[in-house]
Amino acid sequence: MQYKCIPKEEWDKTIERLLLSYTIFASVENEYGLDYELIKPRDILKISYNKPKPATPLKSFFLPVKENVTLERIDEKPRIILGIPNCDIEGLGLLDEIYLDIEFNDVFYRNRRENTILIASDCFGIQENCHCLSYNIKPYSETNADLAVINLNGIIVLRILSAKGEDFVKKIPMMQSLEDKNLVSAIEKEQHATETLLMTSNVGLPDYKNTGELIIKAKENIWEKYAAHCVSCGACTTICPTCTCFLLIDKPGLEKVKQLDACQYPGFERVAGGEDALFELHNRFRNRYMCKYVWKPEKFSSLACTGCGRCIDACIGKINKNEIFMELVK
Amino acid sequence: MQDNRNIYTPIRARLTDVIEESPSIKTFVVVPEDKFSFKTGQFIELSVDGVGEAPFTPSSSPLITEKLEVTVMKTGYVTEYMHMLKPGVLMGIRGPYGRGYPVEAFFGKEVLILGGGCGLAPIRSLLYTLESIKDKLVKVILCYGSKTPADCIYKPLFDRLNSIEKFEAYRTVDKADEDWDGSVGVATTLLNKIKINIKNSVAVVCGPPIMMKFGTIRLLEMGYKDDQIYLSMEKNMSCGLGKCGHCMMGEFFVCRDGPVFTYDEIKHNPEIWK
Repeated sequence: MQYKCIPKEEWDKTIERLLLSYTIFASVENEYGLDYELIKPRDILKISYNKPKPATPLKSFFLPVKENVTLERIDEKPRIILGIPNCDIEGLGLLDEIYLDIEFNDVFYRNRRENTILIASDCFGIQENCHCLSYNIKPYSETNADLAVINLNGIIVLRILSAKGEDFVKKIPMMQSLEDKNLVSAIEKEQHATETLLMTSNVGLPDYKNTGELIIKAKENIWEKYAAHCVSCGACTTICPTCTCFLLIDKPGLEKVKQLDACQYPGFERVAGGEDALFELHNRFRNRYMCKYVWKPEKFSSLACTGCGRCIDACIGKINKNEIFMELVK
Repeated sequence: MQDNRNIYTPIRARLTDVIEESPSIKTFVVVPEDKFSFKTGQFIELSVDGVGEAPFTPSSSPLITEKLEVTVMKTGYVTEYMHMLKPGVLMGIRGPYGRGYPVEAFFGKEVLILGGGCGLAPIRSLLYTLESIKDKLVKVILCYGSKTPADCIYKPLFDRLNSIEKFEAYRTVDKADEDWDGSVGVATTLLNKIKINIKNSVAVVCGPPIMMKFGTIRLLEMGYKDDQIYLSMEKNMSCGLGKCGHCMMGEFFVCRDGPVFTYDEIKHNPEIWK
């Protein structure tokens, strides 16, 4: 793994310079918690490093909630997204498989992907519902992003993860190779500490494959029991880094507006004539788990749940999917 | 090379004729402004400008490429608007999408087609195709059921089919009226009347979900193997691109992996009859 480093104050000046040619979003802590914000020069010192996790999933930068997909594309300024947890980086894998597939390539998604430098952030510490490691996803990125950032002892360390990331780093003055072995050890120590926290807080949680097997075997009464607290608000799918189902809405002039949709909403699978395989709430509720742990894995190589835990944080019915899985294990 | 085509933009198409087939079913003849062709069994997304789009399998012959016929039952939001359209309006077409009927796999075989209701629309396109390759087929039998004689669409089609060498066509209705002198009963009852060499046959089923289910069960009872039965599945195919998620049937996107599947391909999945 190749590391580069730069003093923190020089990195902050670098971000200020980069703002001339890039739109930068970074993880910032405000009174509501941590989330991505559009960075202006005065915000640079507010950028949060290595703390999990922005409230908004990364998908929002590539698949807007609502977008006219028949209008001419406007070339956007290149973007940097800084401070991405690895659960979101891994989630982007599924989006790439869906939206960059060879036969039907979504140009809107592709342009944004090509136009964006992804700077991941190693998670030092966990949030209550983080469980990436249970699905064999590490709390730090080693692939799929362009760079990973670590802020330690007044030094910004960048782990180079792609050719695009390497090119980007080359253009930053004062960037040096990381020779300090103690700093590398300190980073690894933090990583291991986070992994230990994840293991401790998720003892007994089945892994991804086992979860799928448990879900297939689950009896209807399990879904009825937990769906009793569900109000079909779709918060879980909206905040999920891998849920991207959408609806095409027609506008005059044969224009199409693509809008985020959710299998949790009534009528999602309704066909002409009124038949609806997901009419009953507990069937819609079950559908989300079947999709994530059973059906998507049959079709795609990327995981459809990366253990970010946001769906648990967001649920107004206080439904904790991991409690369902723990009950199924029994 | 990267494909820069916008997958969401429809082709403009002019509605040139509207044919009334039954009180609730009309056939819309549309002429695409760009080059457009499809394989039988594939579907298109047809837009009513500013209202919405819906998936339909064309009912015309894929050999005719300058125009396209789409037979539509008035049954929902988009189709109600569609039924009010007059010739001359501009519509939109996206597609063709999905996997149609693998007609090459029917060569040298007897083809049994079991259809119900508006399922006759895609079947008509298949029948045109089979007619064009009839020298490569042993025989084609159509068994079609509708609710009432008034719901039976393409009435001249049956006489025409029965006049074509190697073709046989049978009709039944669930509920007869005074003028009806044909069979009465659901579509599967017609299967008792036909003579077919099941071993050297394929069966195609297209119709409402309930008919698909019981049609398949009956064909299996008759001795058809799972991989001899072709089903045209109906789901809410919204984008047609395998992306929007509305047509997921277990691990399948019906819009891309189907809409035509063999029963063998999907039988493991309890979601198929939902």
